[in-house]
Amino acid sequence: MQIKDWIAFCLFTALLVASLVAQDKPPEKKITNPFGKDNAAAEAGRAQFNSGCAVCHGPTGQGGRGSRLADIERVQKMADARMFEVIREGVAGTQMPPSSLSDNQIWHMVSFIRSLNLSAVEQDVPGDSSAGETLFFAGGQCSGCHMIRGRGGLIGPDLSNVGARRSADKLRKSIETPDAFVEPGYAKVEVVTHAGERISGVTKNNSNYSIQVLDAQEKFHFLLKKDLKSITHYKRSLMPTPSLSEADRQNLLAYLSRQSLETPAERARRIEHGKETEP
Amino acid sequence: MKKTSSYGVWFSRTVWIKGLLPSPQGGRGAGGEGDRHAVVGCLALRIQQTCSASTFGLLLLLVLPLQAEVAFHDLLKMPAENWLSYSGDLTARRHSLLKQVNTANVGNLVPAWVYHVKDSKRLQVTPVVADGVMYVSHTNEVYALDARTGRQIWHYKYVQAKRHDGNRGVAVLGERVFFVSSDAHLLALHAKTGALLWDKEYGGYEQNSQISATLAPLAIDGKVIVGVTGGDCGMRGFVDAYDAATGKQLWRFYTIPGPGEPGFESWGGHPIGISGGGTWMTGTYDASQNLLFWTVGNPGPDFYGESRPGDNLYSDSVVALDANTGKLKWHYQFTPHDTHDWDAQEFPVLIDSIFQGKPRKLLVQANRNGFFYVLDRTDGKVLLAKPFVKKMTWARGILPNGRPDVIPDMDPTPAGRIACPGIKGASNWFSPSYNPETGLFYVITIEQCDIYTTSARPYKKGECYDGTGAEAIPTEPGQFFLRAIDIQNGDIRWEIPMVVKDTMDPWPGTVSTAGGLVFFGDNEGYLSAADARTGKVLWHFNTGQLITASPMTYSVNGKQYVALASATDVFCFGLFEPMSPAPVTLKENYEGSEAKQGN
Repeated sequence: MQIKDWIAFCLFTALLVASLVAQDKPPEKKITNPFGKDNAAAEAGRAQFNSGCAVCHGPTGQGGRGSRLADIERVQKMADARMFEVIREGVAGTQMPPSSLSDNQIWHMVSFIRSLNLSAVEQDVPGDSSAGETLFFAGGQCSGCHMIRGRGGLIGPDLSNVGARRSADKLRKSIETPDAFVEPGYAKVEVVTHAGERISGVTKNNSNYSIQVLDAQEKFHFLLKKDLKSITHYKRSLMPTPSLSEADRQNLLAYLSRQSLETPAERARRIEHGKETEP
Repeated sequence: MKKTSSYGVWFSRTVWIKGLLPSPQGGRGAGGEGDRHAVVGCLALRIQQTCSASTFGLLLLLVLPLQAEVAFHDLLKMPAENWLSYSGDLTARRHSLLKQVNTANVGNLVPAWVYHVKDSKRLQVTPVVADGVMYVSHTNEVYALDARTGRQIWHYKYVQAKRHDGNRGVAVLGERVFFVSSDAHLLALHAKTGALLWDKEYGGYEQNSQISATLAPLAIDGKVIVGVTGGDCGMRGFVDAYDAATGKQLWRFYTIPGPGEPGFESWGGHPIGISGGGTWMTGTYDASQNLLFWTVGNPGPDFYGESRPGDNLYSDSVVALDANTGKLKWHYQFTPHDTHDWDAQEFPVLIDSIFQGKPRKLLVQANRNGFFYVLDRTDGKVLLAKPFVKKMTWARGILPNGRPDVIPDMDPTPAGRIACPGIKGASNWFSPSYNPETGLFYVITIEQCDIYTTSARPYKKGECYDGTGAEAIPTEPGQFFLRAIDIQNGDIRWEIPMVVKDTMDPWPGTVSTAGGLVFFGDNEGYLSAADARTGKVLWHFNTGQLITASPMTYSVNGKQYVALASATDVFCFGLFEPMSPAPVTLKENYEGSEAKQGN
């Protein structure tokens, strides 16, 4: 082996070792909201939010000139560190500007925005979860339409992750008055084709030129609007108001609130401690 | 557009530097060039000395199409082959004379090419096309593309920018391309290379980091006109004019009058430096009066009016400015003492038409406050004002004196009050268009109400100054429409309703053509074409992306194209033509390497 080959070999080995060591120890970048779920921090964040954010996102984050921030999966899934970064840096190429607020002021706002997106799984909802599970699957009253981890129907929203996506309040409201909030993709619709065929079900997707309907037999209809005579969209939910005792309702709520695809620990690690960020 | 018809003359100017050299025919470049001429002239001379004139001329002839520079009078022409400014011409009618694509054949429109704009999220640009070259801007960047193929010619990035807002487009004049950076610099690039010619900081970002710029500049005779964004966050808006050749400031008009100026009293002592009045969209220009029409944004704080008693001039107004001096000739305020953030940034479209029996110079606007206005643009008098939305709760109408007949107690409250139109307005900055043949004004319209909330909050440097905000009513989503408004009476002649969605993120606009079509973006990512007379949709294409820009049209070598920036790409369409294979005789040789075919 010639000298220069030897040098090359050494360099290669050094690099290989270095890269293996690097793989062994991924850089631990831990960015955690120092205020967490502190109510006072969230309140301070609300005041801050009202000066500069509410103009576009609305005082309670319902969206206006800017995107909606309350009760929305995109925000629920976002790590605190990523949220901090978006507030600090803005979103390049959009109307979302960077911020010159202090770190603490931004963390207050992260706490506030988080408070607009509470997850039932973090709220420790009381009740007998296993009794709730039995109720959910018994007689198909719920599972006839809703699926949880592969068991159940398709005409209602899949609830496998509903505890992470909904606050306990909102879950309760959906059980008590199903019409209060209809999830996109599950609004009742009736269409009539030029040939006179009637199809009813839920709207999976609706553009100005096409509509996708999933009917009660769980069959998809991919329709072009030019082939249709009429379309009727309903505000009401397809879900009937369940007649439940308060105890049953609480048990069902306890069961649903625990439906999360991540364990609370996994979720906290990802969202609160910023180990990963949104792609 | 000054085409070079004789290759002799063309060569003597040399193709790259034409417009920088003194024109042998005394033609007008962008303006006086000074010493640059001499330097570039020497370069041209050297090229001529070192090359045989005939070979060099032949070479240029082979590799470059006929080049032309954009003269001021070109900018005044109705758009046809070229689309030379954000709105196609300086009137913002956005009506192209092209009719190769028309109501009979638009069904055959197919994609010609797609250009992906790297790192973009929500493109807001209307491309500009001059002689087969398309200029597309994005946050602090400009791309020049071959408009026939979508292949890049050059790319310029202003790397030192301190902000990264959206950008709506470029202006062209002479051989210069102008655009603004997010931190409010006006930049002039060479149209052939993208090389920076000059950079003028104009917004005062260092003093107030809330100031930015997003608009496409407006180029007129030897001048470039720009404005600023930031009226929600405490600033004093202005319109600026710069010398197109040198970047020297020519004048400034402040949209918030200072002490001693008329209108100062309309603020009740509110500090002028934080009163808003942004100028964040491109204005229009009437050469016959040498007047610029610039629209002014909201007063600050947006939703809290008690600290600024009075009309708050010239917020939510259109101002008519002398293009030579920047002096105000007249103004009209659409929404006096606004508390709903209804910036007047919708396009002030200039239309010459018989109106109420008389030929008139009109200024037409579908305002964010829900009224469709026809003004006499010689004096700013209101000739017609009529709601173009049904959801309207703030005014009963516009009185003969031009002031709104305001419904009391519609201001935002601390607990929130519902008012209509919503925060995005009945329309907004996305472009309307006007077809002189139909007499119809095509405008994307939003029927929506929002909850407006207010609070008193003193100004704090570095924070926004908006007095709280507005948001959607969760159970009452808004709805987008394309509406065709008869400018003679404000009647809605036809409309195309769009599907109701709970997201109001799109900002799509329109373009009208002599082919009897109106192209428009929708709230679901489609570019569509409707019959301009009837509103019947004749063609549509799913871009698969959010649309936050307005379409345009142009032609190259006799073929008409329609282009639209979607969220991250420029889509370009033309009539279907079967592809003809390349001739087998083509040999592409690479000097110094053995030709290898295949692998």
